[in-house]
Amino acid sequence: MTLLIKFAIDSIVYILKGSVKFYAWLALLGFLSLIYFFGLYQQLVHGLIFTNFNDQVSWGLYESNFIFLVGVAAAAVTVVFPAYVYHHKQLKSIVVLGEMVAITAVTMVILFILLHLGRADRLWHIIPGIGIFNFPNSMLTWDVLVLNVYLGLNVICAFYYLYKKYTHQPLNDKFYLPVVYISIVWALSIHTVTAFLINTMPARPMWFHSMMPIKFISTAFASGPALIIIAFLIIKRTTALKIEDEAIELLAQIATWCLGIALFLAMSEIVTELYPSTEHSFSLKYLLFGKHGLSKLVPWIWSSFTLNIVAFLLLLNPNFRKNHNKLLIACVMIFVGVWIEKGMGLVVPAYIPTPIGEFSEYTPSLFEIMNAIGAWALGLMMFTILAKGAIGVLLGEISYDSEAVKKSDCDKEPLVCHSFCPGHPSSTGKEK
Amino acid sequence: MSEEKKEIAQDIHTSEEDKNRRDFMKDMGAAALAGAAALLTNSDDAEATSTWAEFFQKNYRLMTEEEKKDAILRLEQRYSEEYGKTVTVDGAPPMKDVLFGYALNIQKCIGCRRCVYACVKENNQSRNNPEIQWIRVIRMEKGNFSTENMDKGYPAGEGDQTYTNKDYGIQVGGNAYINAGVTLEGQHYYQPEQVPEKDAFYFPIQCMQCEKPPCVKVCPVRTTYREPDGIVVIDYNWCIGCRMCISACPYWARRFNWGDPNLPAQEMNPKTHYLGNRPRMRGVAEKCTFCLQRTRQGRYTACVEVCPVGARKFGNLLDPGSEVRKILDRKRVFRLKADLNTYPKFFYFID
Amino acid sequence: MKNANLTKISIGAVGCLLLVGLISYKLGYSQNPEPPKPKEQQNEQPVTDCFESREGYTSVTRVENAVPQYGYPNVKCSQTTGGVLWWGNPYDGTIPMGEMPAINDAARGDYATEEAVVKPREPQLKYFNLSPDQHCAFCHNGKIVPFPKDKKPRLLAAHQDIVENSLQLMHGRGAFWCLDCHSATNRNKLIDHQGNEISFNQPQRLCGKCHGGVYIDWRMGIHGKRIGSWIKGGKKRWWVCTECHNPHTVQINRFNPIKPEPAPALPRGTQNAVPEAAHGNVSHKESFSTPPANPSTGH
Repeated sequence: MTLLIKFAIDSIVYILKGSVKFYAWLALLGFLSLIYFFGLYQQLVHGLIFTNFNDQVSWGLYESNFIFLVGVAAAAVTVVFPAYVYHHKQLKSIVVLGEMVAITAVTMVILFILLHLGRADRLWHIIPGIGIFNFPNSMLTWDVLVLNVYLGLNVICAFYYLYKKYTHQPLNDKFYLPVVYISIVWALSIHTVTAFLINTMPARPMWFHSMMPIKFISTAFASGPALIIIAFLIIKRTTALKIEDEAIELLAQIATWCLGIALFLAMSEIVTELYPSTEHSFSLKYLLFGKHGLSKLVPWIWSSFTLNIVAFLLLLNPNFRKNHNKLLIACVMIFVGVWIEKGMGLVVPAYIPTPIGEFSEYTPSLFEIMNAIGAWALGLMMFTILAKGAIGVLLGEISYDSEAVKKSDCDKEPLVCHSFCPGHPSSTGKEK
Repeated sequence: MSEEKKEIAQDIHTSEEDKNRRDFMKDMGAAALAGAAALLTNSDDAEATSTWAEFFQKNYRLMTEEEKKDAILRLEQRYSEEYGKTVTVDGAPPMKDVLFGYALNIQKCIGCRRCVYACVKENNQSRNNPEIQWIRVIRMEKGNFSTENMDKGYPAGEGDQTYTNKDYGIQVGGNAYINAGVTLEGQHYYQPEQVPEKDAFYFPIQCMQCEKPPCVKVCPVRTTYREPDGIVVIDYNWCIGCRMCISACPYWARRFNWGDPNLPAQEMNPKTHYLGNRPRMRGVAEKCTFCLQRTRQGRYTACVEVCPVGARKFGNLLDPGSEVRKILDRKRVFRLKADLNTYPKFFYFID
Repeated sequence: MKNANLTKISIGAVGCLLLVGLISYKLGYSQNPEPPKPKEQQNEQPVTDCFESREGYTSVTRVENAVPQYGYPNVKCSQTTGGVLWWGNPYDGTIPMGEMPAINDAARGDYATEEAVVKPREPQLKYFNLSPDQHCAFCHNGKIVPFPKDKKPRLLAAHQDIVENSLQLMHGRGAFWCLDCHSATNRNKLIDHQGNEISFNQPQRLCGKCHGGVYIDWRMGIHGKRIGSWIKGGKKRWWVCTECHNPHTVQINRFNPIKPEPAPALPRGTQNAVPEAAHGNVSHKESFSTPPANPSTGH
């Protein structure tokens, strides 16, 4: 227990030490995230009246971000899976950073859900025991369940790993590996269930197709690794942590092929819907070409397609992928392209027309946009802090004084401190 | 865009807003000092205690009779104070052996929208910002075909000189894409001098009180549920405002209180039911309940009573002698979007 | 040990959530300490002269506090059209419907036990009430206006406001004339085929003679309008034929057109309802990009 407290204190002290640049970055994010809290407070007091949601289009910017971020969270598996199933050495050494992305993304999902709710003050109504948890009927309860368990699994994986590293103890594989494998499968479940959340409503024909879960996963496994690559490239340039080129190359390949699959699925959907062109394709037609003179989403969706297709074609070239400056550009393109596709391309058009045929457009209000920026800033701040702590441990800069360990806890927990080599977690595996 | 910005800025920075912020700071200070418990005990006034009690109350369906009575009493006191008149909140349970059903004669409907406003007068909806109406009347085309279009279409027909392969015929006729009859591609905002218009008919839509309601299934906290008399109700005090029900309803029957409802005191209907027309709060869903504050006491719904052409019929589906059952027996009826298997208890019919 | 910690943490988390919820709820509630006082509609007087189904023909006057229990007026009316929108008292101004011939067919709805009331038609008739006690017979007494000798159609000297041209009476498309329904000798009454007098308050007894199908539907509650109690046997106000239909012009309009109530508010952020007008016919013409075969020269 004292060790745990020491770990926490050491980490906090390490994180708090930083350059002026670091503080400026945190201050900027901190200021922006205040907007989020102010916005949330406004919504608690006044309701959603400052948003541009209406009875016709009742989901918008918040829910788009929610769905996108579930994908990012799930995409952490693109780091964990090769590391532990294919024992990809270079990824294994930085797997904890992937888990930090997942933790941050799920937290941001919760931030956006708080914005989404009309009565966030009544959130306790959903807690089993003191409230009513309509499980298994309500798909939303499934989503609550899988997201929270996923958050828990990642917190356990990441912090257990860092803690052991901090104390120079070997990982207990009998405990650690099952949790890792469960979290790999669970990552798929969170985006699958989020897809089920919206595609099980025949009232919204645009969502009502069985391709939704796989499309979610493929877009997530394109945008997620893209985001992780961006994060890695930034970490590589700003910290001493060594991130091998092979790790980035593998992620780039995953992003490329999953993006290819996503584009193929998008094409399949468009052909299936537009060839017979039934009443159920109105939303998609409105999205792609506009309808009845309404066409606010048309430039968005085509820019999303353009970004994704160009990024895919560029990434097919190995030389392009290996040049990290160029890779960064492609990753930003994927990230933006998929974000648009999830928001303007998926959430909003499903509400246009309404189930009884009314066409009306939606543009987020400034209030919504500010809140979303605030939530992203809060997420970025959280990731900055988590990543800095994790990097500190990985670099061995946050490390327990081994002499002290011997004095206090040697009897309880056997130590292998001296054989432990910071920066090479693979050396902890006994059976390898 | 810049205009939009200004508007929002104005919305947020009113003087009332500043006052609220001060309240917030004050309350936050108190909370920080003494915690919520102190906040609870320090406030002696009845309003505050009733607020706390309301916050902690259970889902209506799970309350004991005693708790229901308390909840209703609290509401009656609060509403009476708020609206400056004696407000009653009824908790009448469903009647025995009654399953409510509705039938609407689309041949008769003239699209006058009186039902819409009768409903608003009866059910205490927010009057503006947000304006909430539970009934939507859609104007539909009778259909307008023309000989002029016969040889037009895709690929271009014989009338087009540039078209060379005309021998193969037109695949999509020139009279395609013309709406006729019930298509759900109608007009919602029609405003002619007089109704009915010669070239249109009208199709009112409201909550269908489905026997298999998708909205109930998706609710994560079971705040919306089906009562034994077939009415899908909402406990407004339990709703968390997630709007899953609004997305799941294929009939666009549910509305949301985007902000604090705006209900002028003199227009407020003081005869209310806990699950029906009592004033709602911001951030919760609402919808038609077949006026259960009336119908559970034997009275017709407000929309049935107001319809000037008698197109709306209401009654007990379990009683073969009821008006609705007679319509089901004698007329050709249909349910809207029957393909979705929601089994509405709202039927459309023609003579 | 670890489990206990976990429970503590989860209890703490739930507690925090509750605390945050409570505080925000309290704040939200104290947001509206003042009751929403009437604002813009303060100077808007309620409409007192209203019509029920037939505009300009079936009128009702709003009476405040007609139902003291809830402070309801007898009716609430539309500010824009003057139509009755809501009944505080559905039996306001009604009388018993009177005897109804038995149908003796339970399947078709024999409302022998129904407590049926109607709003009397006689007070609504303009000419009928020119003389408070003699009514139409004030003039149609055989002296001022002599009784017609036969039912042969002829031009009327008066009442063109009711029937513009009596020779072209629309009802029955020439098969009927005034005295097929109005008593020749007692103009205060209607008359059926057998010569029985029928009150203006019971037009169904006359109309039902020919319009049997509709009459049966009306008796069953399928056709026409009722308000009051939906319960079988409960007290209902029935609308009679002439409350909705004008028998003199029914071929032109079965139901006379009326002004509709206002359209709903446009969704937030929407400027106009133009797009929906593009539904159907208009959009189709644009969807084929063929130029018009003959550029219109006429107009």
